[in-house]
Amino acid sequence: MQEYSSQAAYDRGEAVCVIGAGASGLIAVKNLRENGFEVDCYERDTVLGGLWNPQNQHSPLYPNTHLVTSRSQTEIPDFPMPDDWPDYPSAAQMLAYLTSYAKHFGLSEHIWYGSEISHVEPVEGSRFEVVVKPAAGNAARRLRYAAVIIATGHHWAPNLPSYPGLDQFRGTVLHSSQLKDPSRLRGKHVLVVGGGNSGADIACEAAVNAASCVHSVRRGSWHLPKYLGGEPADYALARLNSRPKYLRRFLTDRLLKGPARLAARMGVAADGSPSEEEPVRNGRYMEHVGDGSIQRRGEIARFDGFDAVFVDGSEMRPDLVVLATGYRPKFTSVEPRLLGIEGDSPYPKLYARMFSPRMETLAVAGLVEPGVGVLPIVHWQTHAIAHWLLVRKSDPERAANFRLQVRSEAEQDTARPAGSSPRHQLAVDAEEYLASLGRIIDTLEQEPAK
Amino acid sequence: MSLAAWVRRARTPAPAPVKREYAFFEPADLFDMDVKDDPEASPVLCCTGDPAGASAFNALWLKRIATTGRYAAAVSVRGQGGTPAAEGGLEARAHDLVQAAVTVPRQTVLIGHKEGAAWAALAAGRYPAAGLVLVSPQKVPKQPPTPVGGPPVLIVVAESETQSKEVQAVAAAYGTAPLTFAGSPDDVFKGAGAEGLLDAILSWLARKD
Ligand SMILES: Cc1cc2nc3c(=O)[nH]c(=O)nc-3n(C[C@H](O)[C@H](O)[C@H](O)COP(=O)(O)OP(=O)(O)OC[C@H]3O[C@@H](n4cnc5c(N)ncnc54)[C@H](O)[C@@H]3O)c2cc1C
Ligand SMILES: NC(=O)c1ccc[n+]([C@@H]2O[C@H](COP(=O)([O-])OP(=O)(O)OC[C@H]3O[C@@H](n4cnc5c(N)ncnc54)[C@H](OP(=O)(O)O)[C@@H]3O)[C@@H](O)[C@H]2O)c1
Repeated sequence: MQEYSSQAAYDRGEAVCVIGAGASGLIAVKNLRENGFEVDCYERDTVLGGLWNPQNQHSPLYPNTHLVTSRSQTEIPDFPMPDDWPDYPSAAQMLAYLTSYAKHFGLSEHIWYGSEISHVEPVEGSRFEVVVKPAAGNAARRLRYAAVIIATGHHWAPNLPSYPGLDQFRGTVLHSSQLKDPSRLRGKHVLVVGGGNSGADIACEAAVNAASCVHSVRRGSWHLPKYLGGEPADYALARLNSRPKYLRRFLTDRLLKGPARLAARMGVAADGSPSEEEPVRNGRYMEHVGDGSIQRRGEIARFDGFDAVFVDGSEMRPDLVVLATGYRPKFTSVEPRLLGIEGDSPYPKLYARMFSPRMETLAVAGLVEPGVGVLPIVHWQTHAIAHWLLVRKSDPERAANFRLQVRSEAEQDTARPAGSSPRHQLAVDAEEYLASLGRIIDTLEQEPAK
Repeated sequence: MSLAAWVRRARTPAPAPVKREYAFFEPADLFDMDVKDDPEASPVLCCTGDPAGASAFNALWLKRIATTGRYAAAVSVRGQGGTPAAEGGLEARAHDLVQAAVTVPRQTVLIGHKEGAAWAALAAGRYPAAGLVLVSPQKVPKQPPTPVGGPPVLIVVAESETQSKEVQAVAAAYGTAPLTFAGSPDDVFKGAGAEGLLDAILSWLARKD
């Protein structure tokens, strides 16, 4: 570690370090401050909002990105979005929302921009030394904190498939996060790969802007329209969860019957029943498949000069291939072991999807794909983390009991299969996960027994 | 707000949106060299059960609050002043107040007068107010929600109200003894009584910041 400045680390005492000023980092800063913690937040980019900010150098936003989850299910519980906004706000509105959240709670004064954290290392038992990567010409800064919360997101490192012949392919190949400008689609013969939300959205953009659009998926997926029964679909389905169990199955099936029949007709349905896999939420996709402006194909076998060859033997000649094949989580600053990352899998194994299994004062916010709005989940996660840090300081006995509880919640969680593709490692059933968060918070907020 | 309370609300139909009437006054609007916008002082958002709504605070309150360097605002909830009527009871009016609170540039103090105190009490259960002030509270639920983020709470009542069961119940719910002001609970927008009341609130706010 000689490359770091020889200066002694600056001790920030009881302060907490938050890494990343995307939605998760902002919510973490706000909730920690509300619970009396001093907080320093480090953001490698020069702007806040994370992936919702097109000025963020690494933003994966593509043309016309809108929320796929509806306003009431996406807004932060204690800071609602304006109620005259549409049901599905745009990426620009999402950024305006996060910006006003930061301004309202005075978060900016706790954020250090242009400050990438390159290293986080446990020191003195439960404390951490954090290294801020130097900006050009400066020495690296080292600081010590009582706790660290990682909120660096998991949509930065593209998951790129490899195909025989792809290197020599004569057309253009882009990952979905590189598309940015819709004019890139205009007049082109476009091949979109990947059946997630990005793939479906971009196929719809290509359907109206490109000369032709072929959408290649390696299996069916669960599709939901944006509205069901006259209401935003996620809201309509969530509401059913407050019905008695025996009615729920019946009502859900009834609500999903129409969309399921349509999906079957279009040949896009997943095998089996809707699971906790994240659904594709798109109201336009089926229409485009129905009018032929999106042509569905199976998996790609190889590329050959100008051509893409599919497993079924068919071929096409795309000008542009968009790989909407998702992302891989990537944690560079902290030793993988601390996040329970073992073997070849890049996926952390955390207690309750947020607490380090090794260090009591290390947590991750936002590392879930709940298939519903992410921000409310992060709100309750960081609420729990802040309360945990308080309890840990004030009541060691209760803290020890709490660790036991969290571990048992974690065991229940891994007992269930997590979807059928490796990417589903981050998937959680929102209903169960919220219930688990609720139990965790209840334990933490109980008055200590006197 | 508890997680369970949020889950319940997120699964309940939201009140119909209305175009809300606001009144506001910023320190800069006073054109007074001696008054500076104080970035440390929390803004204040007022509401009242009086049918006049936001404009009731124009006579004295907003200007006087702005003199202390604070951004001062008031909102008319559905059916009051210039805000059109729309369906929904107490909950919908609390929703209007929360919606108004998030448009204030910074974390705001909520002041509710009479029935407005009930809306403010509910709003503070969903939004982390910088402070909660209940003036001559009426119709506050027996068990108001625990204010989010633990803001300081002030209850102020007219001398004539100190013995009222309703006021005592609210004071007990928040575990705080009410301050009293001279005058009538219906006459708080101008006159000597109003000035005394406002001074009491402002000096409490100054101590809080
Ligand atoms: C195209 C797309 C659409 C989506 N749509 C929805 C939707 O409709 N509804 C929904 O709920 N969710 C949606 N999501 C999920 C989205 O992940 C969440 O909404 C939310 O934005 C996650 O925020 P975050 O803060 O966890 O991550 P990010 O927004 O990724 O922010 C992480 C921040 O950390 C910074 N950072 C990273 N590494 C470091 C480091 N070493 N040091 C310092 N800073 C660092 C980054 O610069 C970034 O600012 C979508 C995701 C994508 C990709
Ligand atoms: N508008 C929005 O709000 C919006 C838009 C886009 C994304 N998002 C969110 O952002 C996250 C990422 O979404 P995403 O769509 O970019 O990624 P994703 O959900 O991970 O989907 C990736 C898709 O690519 C496929 N794929 C992966 N590797 C492949 C390979 N080697 N060959 C062929 N296909 C392959 C996957 O198939 P398998 O299923 O078989 O693995 C899957 O269909 C999600 O949480 C999503 O909800 C939101």
